[in-house]
Amino acid sequence: MKLSISDLSYAFGGCNVLKNVSFEVGEGEFLGLMGPNGSGKTTLLRCMTRYLPAAARAVLVDMKPIHTMTDRELAGTFAVVPQSSSTDFPFTVRDVVMMGRIPHVRNRLASTSRKDVEAVAAAMEVSGCAAFADRPFSELSGGERQRAVIARALAQAPRALLLDEPTVYLDISGQLEMMDLVTKLNKEQSLTVVAVLHDINLAARYCDRIALLNHGLLEAIGAPDEVINSETILSVYGVDVAVRKDPFTHNVYVMPRSARSKARKDGARVHVLCGGGSGGPIMRALVDSGYSVTVGVLNVLDSDHECATDLHIPIVAEVPFAQISDEMHAENLSRIDETPVVVVSPFPVGPGNFKNLEAAMYALKAGKQVVMVFGDDGPNIDFTGGKADAFLKSLIDAGAILVGDVDEMLRLTAKGGLRTQ
Amino acid sequence: MTQEADEASMRGRRPSFFRRNPVLFIFLLGILLLASSFVAVLVGTLGPIGPGFPERISFSDALDAILGREGDAPDYYVSVFRELRMPRVILAGLVGASLACAGTAMQAVFRNPMADPFIIGVSSGAAVGAASAGLLGLTVALGAVAAPALAFVCALVTVMIVYRMGTVKGRVYVDTLLLSGVAMAAFLGAVVSFLIYFAREDYHQLIPWLLGSLAMARWSYVLVISVPATVGILAVFLFGRELNALLLGEETAHNLGANPEFLKKIMLITAALMTAGAVAFCGIIGFVGLIVPHMMRIVVGADHRKLVPAATLFGASFLIWADALSRTVIQGEELPVGIITALCGGPFFLYLLRRSRGMGAMS
Repeated sequence: MKLSISDLSYAFGGCNVLKNVSFEVGEGEFLGLMGPNGSGKTTLLRCMTRYLPAAARAVLVDMKPIHTMTDRELAGTFAVVPQSSSTDFPFTVRDVVMMGRIPHVRNRLASTSRKDVEAVAAAMEVSGCAAFADRPFSELSGGERQRAVIARALAQAPRALLLDEPTVYLDISGQLEMMDLVTKLNKEQSLTVVAVLHDINLAARYCDRIALLNHGLLEAIGAPDEVINSETILSVYGVDVAVRKDPFTHNVYVMPRSARSKARKDGARVHVLCGGGSGGPIMRALVDSGYSVTVGVLNVLDSDHECATDLHIPIVAEVPFAQISDEMHAENLSRIDETPVVVVSPFPVGPGNFKNLEAAMYALKAGKQVVMVFGDDGPNIDFTGGKADAFLKSLIDAGAILVGDVDEMLRLTAKGGLRTQ
Repeated sequence: MTQEADEASMRGRRPSFFRRNPVLFIFLLGILLLASSFVAVLVGTLGPIGPGFPERISFSDALDAILGREGDAPDYYVSVFRELRMPRVILAGLVGASLACAGTAMQAVFRNPMADPFIIGVSSGAAVGAASAGLLGLTVALGAVAAPALAFVCALVTVMIVYRMGTVKGRVYVDTLLLSGVAMAAFLGAVVSFLIYFAREDYHQLIPWLLGSLAMARWSYVLVISVPATVGILAVFLFGRELNALLLGEETAHNLGANPEFLKKIMLITAALMTAGAVAFCGIIGFVGLIVPHMMRIVVGADHRKLVPAATLFGASFLIWADALSRTVIQGEELPVGIITALCGGPFFLYLLRRSRGMGAMS
């Protein structure tokens, strides 16, 4: 089935909810509809089901305009799964699934046909609600209810499944189960799926393509990694995010930036020595407290390097997995020369980054204040066979201040201990 | 019981016997109706069952009278049974069936188990129509059809007004709906009282009708009322599948191929038609449309394909029994049946209100 939306506009109460939206959905495709609240996603879906009246040739199924279809024909084309379903009346799950057969009833007087019974049983089997077929629908959990509604949609024997934020009221396991089920139907029965989704990461993970709506306009449409990048998310949602790739699936996912503010250029200076993912909280706390932070020496691909990049902190960087070179060590020391305070994170010490400890000793010798933050597991872990532990002792003897956590570090700061400039 | 145990029993719970065999249950209700009709004909001041006042007659005499056979019994026995008792029982059955079926349809359209022709004010609307037909002398001019015809028009207008009042931007607000129904019922009740007050000579005659009574039953009434009853029951039954879908919301009904706007209109017209037929001859008999569908839902579930036949048959039996009770509960006196149904229905309504509040199902 090919679904075409061509030049679809919809106005309600003098307000243009949809403006000239055009796109196509191919046979067996899984399209995600995304956009902020009020961007017209649900309206678009309702125009497709004719629940809201759109212009005559705006929605076409295999080039046939939907306004020429009968109610039953349309219900046999699109099956809809809403956000949630509820009723005060004692329907069983089987009753609810049987409602999906309404478009296929030919004779009102006839009782339920064998074909209807078989279609309902098959739909409940596929969607995993056969086990609770005789339970009251109103007593089911949110996830079970959505399964029953999917079964009802399947009993309709539709050519496309339209979902309107089907996971909004589900917990995380329910969300994944729901999306896995829809994907299974999409792949195994090559059922075309159009789903309004709120969760960007869920959409990126499951959809073949994503259509991004904003103020009723189609902002972008394409594969998730084409549509989802920090520029589009910032312009459509007004949120600053970092876009990463899932290391297992290579699906893109977004993460709101961790800092509330960017590193200042004009604050009191602090240099951080860190690595191995130990420096993130320290850098964030310092940036949020208004310091101008520098950091070194970090290998590119170290997660501390990513953190520092997100926080816009100037980095003394070394190539991936390499030992700290003399050149970078020298640059690191020159940064220390510019700052009154050096913070040492509880980074794991190996032969590759031992020079960062030596840099701390350099700072002490140069009369700088050196604060060593202990992590949850204590001080820096030694991977050098005792050499680092011995060096730590000598740092403390030389006057480095030990603190238990980031808050203590900041209290020291607030007292003016660090604000010496 | 703890919540876990409760849930465990819920998961393992098999549907009840009649839930699994609804056809058998509906068949048994049919038998109950036949048996009830037969027994109810025998119940009364004059009959083998009842207070036996002024005289108790034998089964065989009663049977002779019903069958119209010549016997030892006096001639007026035949006219009591054949001209009064039999049309009365059949009328009770038709009215009970109509009200129960109208209640079922209204509950589906309003998506609330507390809707009922009486509570929504449709019965009062129909009463205004029927009373004005009688007082304007239309019944003389047009015959027995005038009262139900005018009742239908007024009932239809009432239900449309109440539905409009309770609907804001396509959403049904049940609290508003019930309240506007109550206000409508009170207002139209006053209109009926006003009409009757100025028709002084007919005043006494109209009191039982006002309270809801089957005492005026005649064969001609049975004939007239059987038309809206049959048409209405059939219509509600034939749209049963669509009514099921409507109970999950109008958008869902639309998406399942059931045109909700058309469905709501046709069902409200049907409900008004059945209510008008019932009210035109028997006055306002309240709560039948509330109690009966609710009881049947407990047994057969909410599926209208089963609920409509069950509620229709049981509604008929229910009113036949209520009427038999009204004829015998006070010796030598006849109580309007509307008093009995209201005595049962009022507390029942309060119980439903409490329960639905507890479940948060009202809005």
